[in-house]
This record gives sequence, structure tokens and C-alpha cells, in this order.
Amino acid sequence: MSKDTSSSTMSIPRRLLRLLLISGLAICAGAQSADTPDPRELIRAAMQHWRGVTSYSEMTMTIHRADWQRSFSMQAWTEGDKQSLVRVTEPRRDAGNGTLVQDKSMWTYSPKINRIIKVPASMMNQSWMGSDFSNKDISKSTDIIDQYNHRLLSTETRDDHLVYTIESIPHEDAAVVWGREVIVIRDDYLMLSQQFWDQDDVLVKQMDTTSIEFMDDRNIAARMRMYKLEDPAEWTEMSVQTIDFDIAITDSLFTLSNLRNPRQ
Amino acid sequence: MLSVANLHLRTLLTLSWRNLWRNHRRTGIMLGAIAIGVWAMIFMTALMRGMVDDMLNQGIHNLPGHIQVQDPTYLDDPNVVNSIAAPGAELRKQLDQLGAVAWATRIKVPAVIASERETRGINLIGIEPAVEASISGLPALLASGRFLESDQDSGIIVGARLAERLETRLGKRVVIMSQDPDNNIRERGFRIVGIYRARLPALEEFNVYAARETLQKLLRIEGRISQLILVGDDYRDIAPLYRRLDQLLPSTLQARTWYQVDSYLAAMFNMMDGFVLVWVIIIFLALSFGLVNTLVMAIFERVREIGLIQALGMRPGLIVCQILLESLLLLLIGLGIGNGLALITIKPLESGLDISAVAEGMAMMGASSVLYPKLTTADLLLANSIVIVLGILTSILPAWRAARLDPVRALNTT
Repeated sequence: MSKDTSSSTMSIPRRLLRLLLISGLAICAGAQSADTPDPRELIRAAMQHWRGVTSYSEMTMTIHRADWQRSFSMQAWTEGDKQSLVRVTEPRRDAGNGTLVQDKSMWTYSPKINRIIKVPASMMNQSWMGSDFSNKDISKSTDIIDQYNHRLLSTETRDDHLVYTIESIPHEDAAVVWGREVIVIRDDYLMLSQQFWDQDDVLVKQMDTTSIEFMDDRNIAARMRMYKLEDPAEWTEMSVQTIDFDIAITDSLFTLSNLRNPRQ
Repeated sequence: MLSVANLHLRTLLTLSWRNLWRNHRRTGIMLGAIAIGVWAMIFMTALMRGMVDDMLNQGIHNLPGHIQVQDPTYLDDPNVVNSIAAPGAELRKQLDQLGAVAWATRIKVPAVIASERETRGINLIGIEPAVEASISGLPALLASGRFLESDQDSGIIVGARLAERLETRLGKRVVIMSQDPDNNIRERGFRIVGIYRARLPALEEFNVYAARETLQKLLRIEGRISQLILVGDDYRDIAPLYRRLDQLLPSTLQARTWYQVDSYLAAMFNMMDGFVLVWVIIIFLALSFGLVNTLVMAIFERVREIGLIQALGMRPGLIVCQILLESLLLLLIGLGIGNGLALITIKPLESGLDISAVAEGMAMMGASSVLYPKLTTADLLLANSIVIVLGILTSILPAWRAARLDPVRALNTT
């Protein structure tokens, strides 16, 4: 079980859904790049574009361990960067398990016990559904961006895209355990990788985008993998099957009652 | 009459004294037994007293304080919601004049600490660094780094074992997470500025110290505290302080003495006197067999002699007196040697007896690996009076048997 706190400069990638969907910004974000973009603005711009966007997606999460592997199929709805709802559809015994995130609060629902549980602070660092993502990764809000000093390390051209490498060092009192994070982001706001370095400058874990696809109307990080450097045999992979942007969402979608009794 | 009784007593005393030294070896062995028994009573009691005193002091340091004031609900649920208002200017002044050695406000809430690799549940404690030394003695436990410098210090102090578990160390940043009164998650990074080593390893893993105001800001409870802690002169005598404090406090707050807070410590404290008594009596029981045996043997050897003095007109009552006197002399000399031995052995050890060979076991009991024997007059008197009183009582049986000897038969005994 992964129990670490990961916090991100770009909270978008950190929030699992957003992290998968961020690429959606790609097209809207367009070419806002000046010659030397301010790294913080780069990240902020990506977030700005995300706001107000609704989406529905179907994805698969694969948790791989040395002696076992399992996959979940999930549906996810998001609105902006504050609200999201995830529901497991496969395998059958986990079907119906749901997670609702509203701002910084998080609730889980399990049909087996027919209970909604608000995830307390003490459990925020525990793993989300047994994956390499912690509850904190899933629910982290975007304002954490202000808790880092961002620095543009390098700009290079890859496959006709400008690729920025940004180093983010958390402030002294930031709720971030990492010594620094390194984010590689493409000019269409697709995040290519995110590295988490500890305070002794050892790379602890890393998330990579392994496949980019064009879906709905934009480029999507269709496959992302989170793994620990100490144990590369353990990883969690998220892959998006379908995604629709700008869908109509009713007010009742991101509510506790909908978490318990699915209505869509 | 008085002079007659006096004469009797003097004669008896002479007789007893001489009888005592008729068999040097037997008396010597008996004296040795009494002396060692008395020494064991006093010495072991002093050791136990020292150990329990140490455990109590330690336990009170860990509570901490002699008196704690908190919201009544806080005891069942040490939640940040169950906080109390920090004392205002007037109450602060009154607390200063209360006659306590020190008083402090504290915050104590459950929290979670996370490093890059580990996450653990902890007790997050917000302290006033300036007075902490008199409250819990924490500054003295610091193994490396510095102590918190002000109420707004942004560092934390963690136990050595916790740092080990978190795979982090002095100078590194960790994240602490807890909840505010509205159940919102509050978190921030802290740098580890100090590492402490507690006598109890379990505490090292659980207690994390930060500055009070820093925590109040983090938990969004500005102007509120979890507990008010008072330390008096002597933990044995805090009732007067408690009464004075109780009059100051509004009825919504609950003041509790250390023995109300921790019933285990209270039980240990109360049990100690009983324990000393039982210990002294057990040693005496072993001793009494030797004593009775010595006296009985002394009488068997002297059956003819006793018959003779009876025939000469000594009354049975005086015979009883004589034998009891013998026993009393024996006990007094033995006690003198025993007490002397105990004093000689305890005094040099009062600066501390190192028993680090069994330190691990002692730590499990909550005691330290250095024992400071503590000799109290009450224990000394208890041991001595028990030996004298019970010693005389056990001598009554042989004395009574001697007095009941038939002079004619006794004289004819070969």
C-alpha cells in the first residue's frame, strides 16, 4: 500500500481525474507561450482553462504488484477543478464503490456496507482503492500551486511541440513532504511526467504519460503510470477509454445522495 | 515496691545479658540473622521507594502536571472541538498568584505526520517553550538539535524513534495534518528542529511538540487551548493548590489532580505503603523462625537451671520477664547493627545506583536505569517497631513454656 503524501505543483495532475484530462486543455490553451513563459503562469493558465469544464469519462485503473494485478473499470464525472465523482463498474464485487470529491472534502461509499464515509484527515495519506495514489492525490485542490516556488529548468522541442521542464520547490511551511518536484509539460498543457524527489534529492516516485491520443476534440493523456523508483515492479496505471467534454451536468450529480443512489 | 521492682529488673537484666553471651556462636548467628534481615527490610524498602518515586515523577511529567484543567468532554474525546478559552489577563494574574511552581497552557490533539516514505498517527502537542522545563522536563530530554524558542516557533520536536520510523532526521521537513473544529483538514509543513529521547520508547513515537501559537493558527483555534497545566511544589501534597484553583475556575471547566487523571499512578502511590508493610512482615516471618528456635534451644539447654531458680523461689512471671529481656536485648543489638548497615549502604548510593544491565526491563515498567534509593524516617520506624513488637510477641511462647516448668521434674532432668 502506498502511503505517501504526494503533493503537486500542478495540482491538476495530482487530482487523478484532472490529471488524465488535463490534456483536454491542450487545444483551448493554444499557443499562449511567449519565448520564456513564467512557469507559474504556465501552470496557472492550464488551471484557468480547466475551470468550468465538465466531462464524463470511462477509464480503467490497473494496480500491479509483484505477485498480483487487478483492474477496475470506472466512470467519472468532473466539473471544474473542485468537483468530481468516480464510480467503479467492474469487477462486479467492487461495482458501486464510489468516491465524491467536493473542494477539499472527500467521501467514499461502499454498497456492501451501505455507508457513506467522510475520509478523515488521518486517512488522507492512505492509498485510494489500493492504488499508488493516495486519497490526498485524488482530492488535492488546485490552490496548492501557491505553496511552491516554480522555476523553468529547460525548454526543448519534441515532436513539433515545445516541452517545458519546471522545477517546483515547496515553501517552508507547505504541506508537501517532497524536497522538489519536476514537471515536464507540453505547450498544449499535456503533462508528460512528474517526478517526486525527497529532501536528500533522491527520486522517490514518478508519474509518466505513456500514451497520448486524440479523443472527443482534443489530445488526451490516455495512459499514465505512477510508480516508485524503489520498487519498479509496483505501479498503477490509468487509461482512458472514452471521454466527452462539456456535457450537461445536473446540480444533483455531485451530492452525497447521488453517491449512494446513482441516478444517471 | 518500686525499689524491689527495680532490683528485680537489674538482676534480671544482668542474668539475661550473661545468658546471652553463654553461647557466643548461637547469639552471634542470631545477631547476624537479625542484622541482615533488618538491613534487607530497610535497604530494599529504600530502593523500592526510590524506584516508585521515580516512576511517579516520570509519570506525572508525562501527564503532564500535578493539576490539569480542561473541558469535561475533552477527557472522553481529545478532539480539537473540545477546547477551552485561553485564560484572560485577569485569570492569568490570579494563576500567577496561586502559589504554583509553574503553569502553562497546552494544545493536545491527535494528528498525522507524514514524511516522504511513511505516515503515522501522533499526539500533536502545542507547548509554551519558556515554561516547558518545569512542566514536563522535555528540554532536558533533547538529544540533538535545539528546543523551541518561542510561542511562534515554526519547528517541531519529534522523538528519536518516530524519526527512525518516518525515515527522516533532524533538519528535514515533514507534513502534519489534523482537523479544525469544523472538521476541515488542516495541514502544513514543519521542519524538525529537535530530536528527543524519552525514557519510555512508546512516548517517543507518539508525542510531537510544536509551539502553541503556531498550532493555534494551524488548527484555527486562536485564543483557545486544550488544557491548562499546573505544577505544585510536591506531588504528594497538592490538595491546597487544587482547592485554591477550584475557586478561581468557572464551573464549566474541570480541574483534575494527577491521581484523578491517571489512576494507575494513583494506585501505585497508594499501594506503596502497603507494599512496604507486607515486605517488612515477610522478612520478619523468615526471621522469627530463627528467633524462636534460638530461644527454645536456649531454654532446653537450661531446664535444670530454670528448675533450680524456681526452686529457689523465683516466680514464673519473672522467668517470663527474664527470657523476654534476653530476646529484647538480642533484638536491640541486631537492630542496631542492621540499621547501621542500612545507613552505611544507602547513603553512598543516594547519588544513584546504575542498573543499566537490566535497563530494558526497567524501562518497560516505566522506571529508569538509575535507581535513587530513598530512605524515609517512617519506613525506618516501621521496620524497627515491627521487629521489636513482633519479636517480643514471638518470644512469649518459649518464655511461657519455661515459666510453666515443674521445678521438681526440671531439677531431675538429666
